[in-house]
Amino acid sequence: MSVAELKERHIAATATVNSLRERLKQRRQLLLDTDVAAFAKSQGRSAISFSSTDLICCRTLQGHTGKVYSLDWTPERNRIVSASQDGRLIVWNALTSQKTHAIKLQCPWVMTCAFAPNGQSVACGGLDSACSIFNLNSQVDRDGNIPVSRILTGHKGYVYSCQYVPDQETRLITSSGDQTCVLWDVTTGQRISVFGGEFPSGHTADVLSVSINSSNSNMFVSGSCDMTARLWDTRIASRAVGTYHGHQGDVNTVKFFPDGQRFGTGSDDSTCRLYDMRTGHQLQVYSQQHEGDDNDVPIVTSIAFSISGRLLFAGYSSGDCYVWDTLMAEVVLNLGTSQNSHEARISCLGLSSDGSALCTGSWDKNLKIWAFGGHRKVI
Amino acid sequence: MQANRAEATPVIGRSAPAPSDTKGKHRISAEVKRLEQESRSLEEELQQLEKTEKLSAGLQEFLLKVESIPDPLLPETTGPANTSWDRWFEGPQDTQGCRCWIL
Repeated sequence: MSVAELKERHIAATATVNSLRERLKQRRQLLLDTDVAAFAKSQGRSAISFSSTDLICCRTLQGHTGKVYSLDWTPERNRIVSASQDGRLIVWNALTSQKTHAIKLQCPWVMTCAFAPNGQSVACGGLDSACSIFNLNSQVDRDGNIPVSRILTGHKGYVYSCQYVPDQETRLITSSGDQTCVLWDVTTGQRISVFGGEFPSGHTADVLSVSINSSNSNMFVSGSCDMTARLWDTRIASRAVGTYHGHQGDVNTVKFFPDGQRFGTGSDDSTCRLYDMRTGHQLQVYSQQHEGDDNDVPIVTSIAFSISGRLLFAGYSSGDCYVWDTLMAEVVLNLGTSQNSHEARISCLGLSSDGSALCTGSWDKNLKIWAFGGHRKVI
Repeated sequence: MQANRAEATPVIGRSAPAPSDTKGKHRISAEVKRLEQESRSLEEELQQLEKTEKLSAGLQEFLLKVESIPDPLLPETTGPANTSWDRWFEGPQDTQGCRCWIL
């Protein structure tokens, strides 16, 4: 086939894809007969009502000397690992505020960290395009540093996000600027599967975040600069199970809903969205009018759901941390304007495993723990 | 001399392609394959959508499920509550905690 004929085929194929995408969009629109908030209102629900002293900052974890970029809780409730621009990981006991470990990294440009399910190891990755594993029980070296126990190499771009597969100490998923996600065997350092890349249903831009389904750890979702979220089955690397459109900007953060059947996203377009994993429907958009001109619209940097899913915590580049009532799509609290709030962008956040505390990490170099300190009514 | 030069001039289409042309052809070919594969995926998705229920179908169950799970961060929640939820407010609360700077 000549180049000219190939070019014609390319034009035809592009037109077919665009037309199919449009048909898909319109067909899906017909199925979106309501959204979560409209339905909840029709069922007589009303928004959660917080008093100003309900969710309070009960700890400030100080110690990093640079912006905090990432944090992760242990499954066993009270410990947190954080990663910072200062080139260090710190492991904290959030209850006592004590630092139990401070790990100086070989590559200081770290972007993500994660705790292993057994709480004995931590992983981190960043601009070195690799993921480093540290065993917290290792003997420290001459300089008092914990030596790296394994480096996972193979990505051809920055590592933006990593997460251990729940209940599997030996498996970890990373997402990268090379447009792929990778499932690793941590004990051998080998790549088990690569999701995307040369396969057509992969992301077409940097993959910024991953979230593994805790109800079914074979499934994970990824968010990308290509403005989509994609669902993957770790047993089928050759194609994404689903692609979720809607966002108008980079999808910076994805998080599975507690029931494992839905997931949330947060984006540069300043909105969060809730999707149904199985049907693909966009169930709800969480969007707030922001003050200031259009050039100053804050981006969503990170999200987390409370343990029931009723609350969606969203950190923004403005320093705001909106608490959304997930069912009513209303902002019921802003931790960014609370007493003792962060003084800069919130870059990461996460819930403790029992859902009793939220940790936020910020460019102000601190982490904060938030818990419910008001009068709780148990029905 | 002129005639010789004319004979020596290669006829377009019959000469060996320059290396950059071959690379371009491979690139376009790969892109076409990718697009055709995407078309097939999109058609499958359209077919799947024909069998998909409306958004409202699962919402009643969704609402009830969310409201049935005890949540320590809500001012009003279904039980049972767990006393460890309030551990953040027990004992000496060093809210400004360990401030040693790691240098």
